[in-house]
Amino acid sequence: MISSNFHSNPFEHVALGKLFDAIGADRVLWTPQADEDGLCRLERLESMSEGSLPNMATTTFLPLKKLLLPSREEVWTFRAGWFLPAQEATAFAVIGIPLCDLQAVWYLDQVFADDVLYRARRAQAFLVGMVCEPDTECRCDQQLMPLAGDLFVGEDRVWALSSAGETMLRTCSFHAPQEMPLPWPAGVAGKRHTLTQELYASTSDASIWVEEAKRCLSCGACSAVCPTCYCFDMMDEVALDGSVIRSRVWDNCFFAEHGKVAGDYDFRPGRANRLRFRMEHKRFGFGVLRGQNSCVGCGRCRKACPVDIDLDLIAERLNAEATP
Amino acid sequence: MRHTLQPVPAVLEKIVPMVANNHLFSFLPGLPIALAPGQFFEISLPGVGSFPVSSCDLVRNGRIHSCIRRAGRVTEALYNLEKGDSVGLRGPFGNGFPLALFAGQDALLIAGGLGMAPLRALLKALLDGRQTGKIILLYGSREPGSLLFRDELIELSARGRVDVRFSVDFAEVLPGPCDRVLCKIGLVSELLEDLDFVPHNTIAAVCGPPALYHCVLEELALMGLPPAKIFATLERRMRCGIGECCHCVAGGRYICKDGPVFSLKELRDMEGAI
Repeated sequence: MISSNFHSNPFEHVALGKLFDAIGADRVLWTPQADEDGLCRLERLESMSEGSLPNMATTTFLPLKKLLLPSREEVWTFRAGWFLPAQEATAFAVIGIPLCDLQAVWYLDQVFADDVLYRARRAQAFLVGMVCEPDTECRCDQQLMPLAGDLFVGEDRVWALSSAGETMLRTCSFHAPQEMPLPWPAGVAGKRHTLTQELYASTSDASIWVEEAKRCLSCGACSAVCPTCYCFDMMDEVALDGSVIRSRVWDNCFFAEHGKVAGDYDFRPGRANRLRFRMEHKRFGFGVLRGQNSCVGCGRCRKACPVDIDLDLIAERLNAEATP
Repeated sequence: MRHTLQPVPAVLEKIVPMVANNHLFSFLPGLPIALAPGQFFEISLPGVGSFPVSSCDLVRNGRIHSCIRRAGRVTEALYNLEKGDSVGLRGPFGNGFPLALFAGQDALLIAGGLGMAPLRALLKALLDGRQTGKIILLYGSREPGSLLFRDELIELSARGRVDVRFSVDFAEVLPGPCDRVLCKIGLVSELLEDLDFVPHNTIAAVCGPPALYHCVLEELALMGLPPAKIFATLERRMRCGIGECCHCVAGGRYICKDGPVFSLKELRDMEGAI
């Protein structure tokens, strides 16, 4: 049972303003911002004017991983025979994160627990969750995994999720913490379709993989927008002065090269193999995280897929076909 | 252990052509890389890219020896380098062969093609350790001219250290030196027929292309080797070597970190591994 109880303080609106001022004092601020094209993106907040801060969380088009694990991140620079480490990260805060995305950060924290680059960036992040309003595609589940983050702002209370969050609250004169459960959206988790590893393993020949793969365009949108997808490739760029920058860049398990080795042998040759690979990764995890479902239920993949492929519906059908 | 993805500079000390498009490269890294047989490391050519590769020998005086096939863009660039040029190395990665398990056991090594390279490192360790009983090496290659370390293996066989048997897919006549060891025209799996060994006292290590695993691993189990004592080392696309980038995963396990050496017992539970 994962507890969602954290120290919580009631607040007045004025105190909240001071809290955000303190957070933004020495950090670059990022918030969900609705753009003219109708998408809501995580963007830099240029000034903290009245009304510029969100009062609730939004499931942005791209999740927090775009800041913690940038789509292109310098790994080293090669200059005059030496491999030089990447630049240090700068302090930033993200305000207005939904709870599902805070779980996704917890998951990435486990995946990259030993990764110096990730940890350096992560250590500079101050994450503030907020109450959200679930839409029809939301399937979050507080029992799925713990959450990361520093503060959570509810309608009239603020919770400290980390020691950095506790310190921030104390600095801003919040002195009466009380153990309180976080306000998770109600009635959403029940919409999830479970899939056991046994059922997954025994359905490699099920027709649904091929049927869905026929529609799949291998565009990789599902994985690009997924808050817990993290696979990366390496890319070298040669600068005019001859130095070389190696970066890790987002990769995608739907891309044709993903399972290929030198000599062109492909370990995941068809789209059906890749679709199954993604399901396996999302539902069961890899390596030490085997057994941990990492689909936080944000619904981004369902919205992003141009041909309406939905892992949750595949799970539903596998279950239905298994039941006599 | 913390990972930086940062290579150490290394000098390319030696390039020895072996067989067509397979050269032996020796590197001296600026910081030691303790590479055990079956483990692998990553070679970076700044501006070109990087690739994972195993060593074909024990690390001696800090030097790493690898038999590398010219097979793609980055290896092509490596083949264009000269003695004294520098590269970046990162590692060691992976688990390597379970050397301790070989003590007191007979060893059956089965190599296909370039799979001979990592098994040669294992062979060297077994010969150095002197704790293994009988050592049998079955090595199949496309044609006699592509057998790696051929003369060295024939020499080991002549000295009675290793029972070496070659197979070649295509040959009209076998070249002179091959006469000194048993050599068969056909698949390496055919060498298993009439092989004299004690299955319950034998550990097997297999390395080669996927087709080799499809036929040989279960065959060994049928011959009576326990699946927990049949080992294979897997090849995959790898970008990190530390269980992050996800390219190498099979059956939920990172081949780079949990492997690349797995027993047949493990492989049976890993969909798509072989």
